[in-house]
Amino acid sequence: MNGLQTNNAPHSSVVVPHFIFGAISLLVLAVLIILADESLLQAYFNTKLIAITHIAVLGWASMIVFGALYQLVPVVFETALFSEKLAKVTFWFSAVSVLFLSYSFWVGSYVTLLPYASICMFLSLLLFVVNILLTYKNATLKNIKSTFVITSVFWLLITELIGTLIALNFKFNFLSEIHLHYLKIHATIGLIGWFVLLIIGVGATLIPMFLISHELKEKKLTFAYYLVNGGLIVAVINWFLFKNELIDYLIPLLIISGVLFFVSFIYDSYKKRLRKKLDVGMQYSMLAIAAIFVPFILIGFIVLNTSFEVEFIYRIITFYGFSIVFGLITTLILGQTYKTLPFIVWLNKYQKLVGKTKTPLPRELYSEKIANIQIIIYFVFIASFVIGLLFNQLLFIKIGSYALLLVAILYNVNIFKMITHKVKSVEND
Amino acid sequence: MTKEEITQFELELLELLKNVMDPEIEINIVDLGLIYELNYDEGKGEVDIDLTFSTPSCPLGETIISNIKETIAQKHPSIYTNVNVVFEPKWSTANISEEGKKILGM
Repeated sequence: MNGLQTNNAPHSSVVVPHFIFGAISLLVLAVLIILADESLLQAYFNTKLIAITHIAVLGWASMIVFGALYQLVPVVFETALFSEKLAKVTFWFSAVSVLFLSYSFWVGSYVTLLPYASICMFLSLLLFVVNILLTYKNATLKNIKSTFVITSVFWLLITELIGTLIALNFKFNFLSEIHLHYLKIHATIGLIGWFVLLIIGVGATLIPMFLISHELKEKKLTFAYYLVNGGLIVAVINWFLFKNELIDYLIPLLIISGVLFFVSFIYDSYKKRLRKKLDVGMQYSMLAIAAIFVPFILIGFIVLNTSFEVEFIYRIITFYGFSIVFGLITTLILGQTYKTLPFIVWLNKYQKLVGKTKTPLPRELYSEKIANIQIIIYFVFIASFVIGLLFNQLLFIKIGSYALLLVAILYNVNIFKMITHKVKSVEND
Repeated sequence: MTKEEITQFELELLELLKNVMDPEIEINIVDLGLIYELNYDEGKGEVDIDLTFSTPSCPLGETIISNIKETIAQKHPSIYTNVNVVFEPKWSTANISEEGKKILGM
């Protein structure tokens, strides 16, 4: 039956562990941020901040994204996942690798542990990439959205490859440039190539579906695809080969123009939406899309930095990373968790009961009250960090850190409320 | 059954299907305008339903179909329900009933 994807959905045992690991990682991340204390205001490449970044992007964001992607593949590619068994193996391998990698950074063991941890991480991500690529091979639906997803997976592999080379260089010292040069490439490809492209591909599918909006101009997504990827390719070629400063100005211009086409697509979807009232999941999602303008402004500061003090620029670079990892990615994940996980759990528990008994609605599987309190505290966290980073105020960083801990606790309460939900069976009248 | 009685029965079935909700949009499938055709064949004891979705890749498609079949079977165990999924004509907001528009705040 064309277009019906429920039968292609993987078993919840493939997806749910990713949400559990991701939620616990968010909690660990919040604790590490509290422990890191003033390191957060120091140079962006200090060991504590690098460890926190990897827990954030791999343990928290990527793990949830992997789980969600296994569920969304049937929607975006219109085919079943290539191998559920491989996905389960990948989960455990990635989970151990993320912990090993983050620990190596946290204790600063760049020579003894990091090279091995990074190889484990690379291999585990390679398994994920292989599973998605083989799924795409069987895809019946190949459009601009699925192309975004598959391209993002390709960039994830390149990110990991560069990351592994940097890690191995600490032991074998074979790279010609300083580590920071490669770190810039690693971070840019990871944040833009992996996360932003994935967000565009999945967001362009899910957001209009959840807002119930139709007749959108997909041409905008095609422009976005070529501009963002064009920017990334120019970046890689320039940073590896030419190192031309003038070309450095072109890279953000291409990427920002591309992302603006996506923002415009989402804005159309928002304007044409049937459902006027946004639930908590969509409130988060819309905020995340709006927050995309913050890194646009910051990258301007970074590229044009000529007269700023080096400490200030370091904090702006941290703020730039923060605005993407938290402002965009985390905000979106927090929102989309409330849109996807209730359905995954609901389908698993109630699919066979619909029509036979009265079933709850998916949104009734979590506490909306907790989700609403969580979003307010999340604002406190974001606002405190923005002030702390811009004005070098440790007190605000501390307030923000504890706010994030509260957010993580509330998020975990809701996640476990959904996962441990017991079927309520009431016979129909 | 006379022709009028059949039409009346079909309307009753449609009313019954107002119990089938789209769990995401939280509106029943009748007011959402997802049902294009509903025909009862008394001779065969079958009801044929042409159903669409608000989006072709609707992840809840199979669940909605099961719900339709179960809801009719619970009330009329002797009737067999055929559900044909169609995407032509494409679903649009014009399909939504006045009641549905009220719920959506349109």
